[in-house]
Amino acid sequence: MASSASASASAPPPPTPILNTALSLHRTLTDFLTVAIHTILYTRSLYPQTTFLTSRAYNLPVHQNRHPAVCAWINSAVTSLTPLLSSNAAKRVVIVIYSPQLEVLERYIFDISRFPVISEKEKLTEFADETRGMSNITDVEEQLRATIRRLEYAGSKMAPLPEKCTYTLAVELRDEAEPPIGHPQPWVPSEPSLQTGEKGESEIIGRDLGGVRSTPVRLVAAGDFVLEAWIEEGKAKFDGD
Amino acid sequence: MGSRLEKNSASVRKRIEAHTFEDEEGDEYEGSKFGGFDDYFRRKKIKLQNLDAEIRSSSLGNPKIFRGVVAHVNGYTQPSLNDLHHLIVTHGGVFMQYLDGKTTVTHIIASNLTPRKAIEFRRYRIVKPAWIVDSVEAGKLLPWDAYRVLDEGSGQRQLAFESGKIVSQASTLQRGYKDQMNHSWYTSQVKSLAEGIADDDTPPTWGTVTATSKSTAYEGGSAEPTGMGMESPCKAEPIPGESLNPPGSFEVTSSLEDALMDAAMEEDDARYQLGKEGISQRVETPREASPVVTTASLTGNSIIPGSPSSKPISPLIQTETTPHKRSSKLEDVSPSKKARVLTAEEHNAILLADPNIRKSSTGNPEFLKQYYSESRLHHLSTWKADLKSRFQQMAAEKSASQKQLSKPKPGSRCYIMHVDFDSFFCAVSLKSAPEYVDKPAVVAHGSGNESEIASCNYPARAFGVKNGMWMKGALKLCPNLKVLPYDFPAYEEASEKFYEAILDVGGIVQSVSVDEALVDITSLCLAAGGSAGFGLSQGSIYREQEKADSIAQSLRDRIKNATGCSVSVGIGGNILLAKVALRKAKPAGQYHLKPEEALDFLAELSVKDLPGVAYSIGGKLEEIGVKFVKDVRQLTKDRLITVLGPKTGEKIWDYSRGIDRTEVGQQVVRKSVSAEINWGIRFTSQAEAEEFVQKLCIELKQRLVDQRVKGRQLTMKIKKRAGDAPLDPPKHLGHGKCDTYSKSIVLGVATNNAEKIGKEAISILRSYAFAAGDLRGLGVQMTKLDPIKPSSNALADGSQRRINFGAPAAPPLGKEIIEDLIDDPVTPKKPKTSSIRRDESKFEASDDSDPTTSQKPKWVTAQHLDNGDPIHDSPQKPRATPIHPAAAITRSNAADQSAKKFLNLTGTQFIIPSQIDPDVLAELPQDIRSKLMNQAKRSSMSRGQSPATKSRSQSPFPEAPNRQIPPDLDPEVFESLPEELKAEVLASYSSNTVAHGTRNLLPQSPRKIRGLNANPKKTTPTKKRGLLFRGRNNKQEAHSTLTQANFVTNKKDAVEQANDQATDSEDYVSETLDPEFLSALPEDMRQEIIDEHRRKRLAKKGGLVAPAATRKPRPSEPVLPGQRKLQLPPRERRPTFTTQQLTTLPQLRDALSAWHEGFADDGPHPDDVSALERYLKRVVLDELDMEKVVGVVKWLEWLIDESNESNESNGSGAWAKVLRDIKEHVQSAVQERGLGRLEL
Repeated sequence: MASSASASASAPPPPTPILNTALSLHRTLTDFLTVAIHTILYTRSLYPQTTFLTSRAYNLPVHQNRHPAVCAWINSAVTSLTPLLSSNAAKRVVIVIYSPQLEVLERYIFDISRFPVISEKEKLTEFADETRGMSNITDVEEQLRATIRRLEYAGSKMAPLPEKCTYTLAVELRDEAEPPIGHPQPWVPSEPSLQTGEKGESEIIGRDLGGVRSTPVRLVAAGDFVLEAWIEEGKAKFDGD
Repeated sequence: MGSRLEKNSASVRKRIEAHTFEDEEGDEYEGSKFGGFDDYFRRKKIKLQNLDAEIRSSSLGNPKIFRGVVAHVNGYTQPSLNDLHHLIVTHGGVFMQYLDGKTTVTHIIASNLTPRKAIEFRRYRIVKPAWIVDSVEAGKLLPWDAYRVLDEGSGQRQLAFESGKIVSQASTLQRGYKDQMNHSWYTSQVKSLAEGIADDDTPPTWGTVTATSKSTAYEGGSAEPTGMGMESPCKAEPIPGESLNPPGSFEVTSSLEDALMDAAMEEDDARYQLGKEGISQRVETPREASPVVTTASLTGNSIIPGSPSSKPISPLIQTETTPHKRSSKLEDVSPSKKARVLTAEEHNAILLADPNIRKSSTGNPEFLKQYYSESRLHHLSTWKADLKSRFQQMAAEKSASQKQLSKPKPGSRCYIMHVDFDSFFCAVSLKSAPEYVDKPAVVAHGSGNESEIASCNYPARAFGVKNGMWMKGALKLCPNLKVLPYDFPAYEEASEKFYEAILDVGGIVQSVSVDEALVDITSLCLAAGGSAGFGLSQGSIYREQEKADSIAQSLRDRIKNATGCSVSVGIGGNILLAKVALRKAKPAGQYHLKPEEALDFLAELSVKDLPGVAYSIGGKLEEIGVKFVKDVRQLTKDRLITVLGPKTGEKIWDYSRGIDRTEVGQQVVRKSVSAEINWGIRFTSQAEAEEFVQKLCIELKQRLVDQRVKGRQLTMKIKKRAGDAPLDPPKHLGHGKCDTYSKSIVLGVATNNAEKIGKEAISILRSYAFAAGDLRGLGVQMTKLDPIKPSSNALADGSQRRINFGAPAAPPLGKEIIEDLIDDPVTPKKPKTSSIRRDESKFEASDDSDPTTSQKPKWVTAQHLDNGDPIHDSPQKPRATPIHPAAAITRSNAADQSAKKFLNLTGTQFIIPSQIDPDVLAELPQDIRSKLMNQAKRSSMSRGQSPATKSRSQSPFPEAPNRQIPPDLDPEVFESLPEELKAEVLASYSSNTVAHGTRNLLPQSPRKIRGLNANPKKTTPTKKRGLLFRGRNNKQEAHSTLTQANFVTNKKDAVEQANDQATDSEDYVSETLDPEFLSALPEDMRQEIIDEHRRKRLAKKGGLVAPAATRKPRPSEPVLPGQRKLQLPPRERRPTFTTQQLTTLPQLRDALSAWHEGFADDGPHPDDVSALERYLKRVVLDELDMEKVVGVVKWLEWLIDESNESNESNGSGAWAKVLRDIKEHVQSAVQERGLGRLEL
């Protein structure tokens, strides 16, 4: 189950607190994803690199696209993640890069299946055991910084993408989660080839999952913030070669 | 400063800087049209800028330090507007004559702002003119905030930089005219001019001399601070009589001295004004003083050219001519230098190192006593209080007979005498030095500059010397003043005679002071007049007045004869008039202010001559245009009340009309009792300060007792050295400039208990958290006084009723009972008393006032202590089995305490108080604290017994336990038996109890068990029975057999009991996980235990329901007290490699390196390889950390490559194969996750 986001701008969230509530975990994640998306867009040259500004995140120079529409899209996409996170529906967050022919070329996967499952009502309740040794936000940032850095490195090592690629943000839901249907509906079902689930009915379903080659990025294990990131490169990317 | 302001001012600046002036052809020089004021004004401004442009162009050589500054001057400044304007413009700034809007300028220059403007400009840069001047002088733009005019209010702390650190400090902005004058530009100009003149006089020396004087001053400050600080006070005291016997060149010297004194005074003032202790300021001061000195020396020069008097320009030479002055100056200077290095405490410590000073300050334990025995003020006040109480007593004695006489009907004529010695102290002192009677003489405690004049005679007053003046000033007014010492015995004698005479008059006497009294002679006069004080019979009035005058005259004569000193008497119709009349009577006369002239007389007085009116009230009245009493009469009462307040206003209004309703002899009810010391307070530590407060409270208590009152409100007054005051005040050991703080607390009940007061006072002191060294004065005051009823005889020191538990056991009231359980085996009585005492205090309801019974248990339990002592293991012990319930209970109490005694777990030989002040506890080091806590815990446990058990310890059969009477015997009967029979009975019982004695060490009674059941946790040792406590609690383990019985009634325990007995101990562990114990365990074991613990707890919670709850992703936790926290499920354990539980990449690398190195030649063992493969697979699939796997594989690859490169060993092939295998394994694992192949 994957979906893409529609746009609705929102104010930047307040600074992240230490990771001792579900809310802070989610906020740290969304912040991180924002940075990560910009970084991917930059390293994979989805937009001209001159349209990026250098900025600082986690004490690391990162690139941020300066086009307002791009920023707004990313922000809104990441913001629409929040309800899915707080309802514990999301399992993975994936950034998918498509070729001009809409073949899946690369997938950047951020696996959050090991985030603690906490009901929405408890999102402000502090964790009992002092965030398990991750009481300092800088420790967390250290790991996030490393992840961004590795993402950048891995992205720059991969073969360049063809012109006019496009991308989207997708979310893989947990098996037991309800699909986010309703009005307004920020998320739409993704193409069958990227849908998880039973493969029985059709060849297509889940075809592009997994890819041909994967590149591990990093495992972030900051207290209860456990996130594995890796990159998958799809078949379509190597078909041309 | 917002950007808005910057924008506006920047645009103004640009506009003006771009402004050029070519010629007078511009449009601004045209005539303005009718009504064109705007135009006119605009042009005016342009023309002004034209002027500036010209100035600017003509001063290109100056540094453009004010570039970017747009300034406006507000109000009077020094230097003047014109000068500032010029300075700013010539240094590249822009000057605005007219403030078109606050944002058009960057800085507003003002010396002072009106309050309204201060509010209006609050957020703008208001700078003192000195900023401009100093900046120009420094050649650079100085930070403006050092020259703020406005601050954030006196209490507001500000951030500042000090020696590289950010500090928060209270703003110490000084302002005022004097400040401005001292810093003023003109003053410095004048100064430099004066210096120029001085230079001409002694051109070769000046510069060098100043330099040396500076350096010596520094050295004096830093190298030998103590010597200077301590000796100088003595030095500073000039030799008495020196000024009275001036040297030959009197004229010059005295004028010089005056000048120097002025200079010194100014210096002092300057110091206070500036409140800075910086070097620059100190260096400045001699300069500031110099103009005065210079003028003096100039006049000196003109009289005796070339005389040494021309020298005093330089401070050093000045000291040569007047050594004592120099030293006093040095004294003033050196401490301020020290302040840079020393804290107040250290300073005090150094100060107190001198034994003399130590003796006369709080460093001396006897200080308080000494202080009160030596303090003059204290002497006077207590003396007066003594007198007062004496005369009140006398009056009370007489009152019986006088009552009817002394209560004339309202409206009748009155005659009040105010009798007062003329300069009492001085007159009495002069008796021993009659040669000075006609010369100016004063009484003071010394002729030092700082001594205060207590009294001066009339010749001295002619010079303008006044009481309360400082010697310095007095000597200036009258250089040949004779200083007389105090002569208290003589005063006392004179005073006694004085009062004797007054009392003999027979009227109602009210003592005002030792030398002053009010006498109501109405009754005497009316008797002489033969009227009742009414009517207008001229004759009787005349006779009455005649009588009054004659009484006064005879009184004066009598006192003159008795004491040799003259008194003055004022007579009037009321106290006010008598007092006013006395003014006129002085000296040595009498004046009767008759009713008909009273009003006129009063009218001509200045308001300040009215009693009770001085600067404050006088000043207020002057503000509303009142100077004389007659002016007051023009005002309405309401007006006066609004100006002065309801009480004072009405009083003054009455006074102006000669009305005074107070009566002679009216007893003023004492409203407060206090003890305060503001001299010699020098502490080196907080403990010292607190001890002193305690002593002060004892003094206060004494006074309360003397006054027979108790207070309900305690006020603590603290004087703290002001932030800008030097460590050494001008007066030796005085308090100097201080900030005064006071805080009151209302005590629940009236008390005069020194300890309680002391405790509160100390806590107030602590609440301020002042540095002890900065304390300069301490005072305690009790208000809301309640008189002690004479009936409450012995309990004069506590208003709360207490139950009397019998005299012997009662310790001194209010004393903390120190339990001596450990150290006093010789007198077992003591611990007993305290334990009973404690019981009593806890269960006061268990009223047992019979002294005999309270005696008994004391002895009994003391015995018990020995018997119950487990160390003895006496054969008697097992006998205890079938015992009287009361015995059992008492025994258990005793056992508790004896256990304490025996084990001495506290590990200290010191007595540990049973009631611990948490404050104190917090201050203690960790180890002592933990001991105390342990002890407290244990004692509270022992106390946790049910009330029933406690009260039983006071049971009427207290002796039973001692003898261990078998329960089936009636103790009363037993008691009545003769001693040998008792022994026999006991012996017979003991034989059959031995058998099952061990089982029930603590014998049970049904009562007791119920009591325990109510609170099983506290009494049963289960809590302590963790694995680690096993050995230690052996003794108590015996109890556990007893507690087993409890499980029946307790649901939770029932569950426990259901568990296998074998798992008993584990169960206990899980019940209360000891965090320390846990942390000592390895990670996985801990996890296991915690899991186990949780499982068990959940099982317990739900009774014996299946532990399904654990399967929930987030098990709901029992609600904890305080904030609820979310218990997260335990994280999955990471797969580990080898038995060493390696998980992190560096660890794995190390392990791999070691592995590879060890088997480089032989090739790896297949088991190891498969272990690694298994591990890596688990990492991929379970830990989900592919990156680590890649890292491991790459590391291994690198290792192999490395060894291949270095030498072709035979194992390399095997290794390469292994690597391939591993890679394949990893790939398959990744594939299992449904991912594409990793690039390895």
